[in-house]
Amino acid sequence: MKKNPLSLLTIASSKGRVTKRYPFEEPLMTSEFRGKIEIDESKCIGCGACVNACPPNALELLSSSGTKTLRYFIGRCIYCWRCIDVCPVGAIKGTREFELATDDVSDLYELLIHEEAKCSVCNSPYATVRIVRYVATRSPSTEGYVSMDPKCRQEKFVKAIEMRFGGLSA
Amino acid sequence: MPNKVIGRSIWVFHLNSGSCNGCDIETLDVLTPYHDAERFGVKLVVSPRHADVVLFTGPITIESLPKVIRALKAMPRPRYIVALGSCAIGGNIWHASYSVVGGVPKLLEILKDEGVNVDGVFYVPGCPIRPESIIYAIALIKGIAKKKVKMKVKKAEP
Repeated sequence: MKKNPLSLLTIASSKGRVTKRYPFEEPLMTSEFRGKIEIDESKCIGCGACVNACPPNALELLSSSGTKTLRYFIGRCIYCWRCIDVCPVGAIKGTREFELATDDVSDLYELLIHEEAKCSVCNSPYATVRIVRYVATRSPSTEGYVSMDPKCRQEKFVKAIEMRFGGLSA
Repeated sequence: MPNKVIGRSIWVFHLNSGSCNGCDIETLDVLTPYHDAERFGVKLVVSPRHADVVLFTGPITIESLPKVIRALKAMPRPRYIVALGSCAIGGNIWHASYSVVGGVPKLLEILKDEGVNVDGVFYVPGCPIRPESIIYAIALIKGIAKKKVKMKVKKAEP
């Protein structure tokens, strides 16, 4: 059956427009949507919990001389927000940002540079300054050995055993 | 107003290089009346010989690499790549796998050795990408929208 073309106009005018006007209007955004994460540089302690939890290794902890860098590559992130769940200090929070298109891949990197603490005995770097302070405030009983790296800590423990019992093999 | 990268209507060729189809479904969603990318003159073409832009999805498996190079060689200059999704940009969870190249930045090095020039690459992160982010990338190419992301270097004070 052939329809009058003008009847289409009446249908179209009664139904209205379905096409979204984006980018000239706000996008449809639900509260469940997960976008890019944001790392708070005043809270992060550089422990690496997020690095272990990240499935595609978008968050990486890189060591160089005297600094530890937490590198976030947005181009590899899958927006699972597991890092937010595991962060012990709540430094990572999620945003609803998705307009991340760019013409240069280096725009998609975010770096957070941490200073490394040095061992009080052998002067070699072993952890970030902030994590050492975090451990010292959370459990004050570690005061005697928190400023040493694991190797020196081990040697100190062995020496103490030797002093007390005269050796490890009895 | 930002600069236009391509002034005329963008004809796109959709190239899948081993993607999970998440990004491909979202790409089709952009062409439906709901989002309607034809507002910006975007038209899906069936041959790379007709295309200005290739919509690139997937982490580029080794099996698909020769086909990808062949398709990109067939495109007329100036040719642009729009890398869709985190697979095409950084390789996603397969970035260290033996069977993938792992993203367009690594593909560009291979293309350089092959003698294939690419005039510009646009990166659209997301897993999968929202249809709106593809429209935002088109708006970026057409000079309607401004770039929002920038590399950030923060320092944690001890």
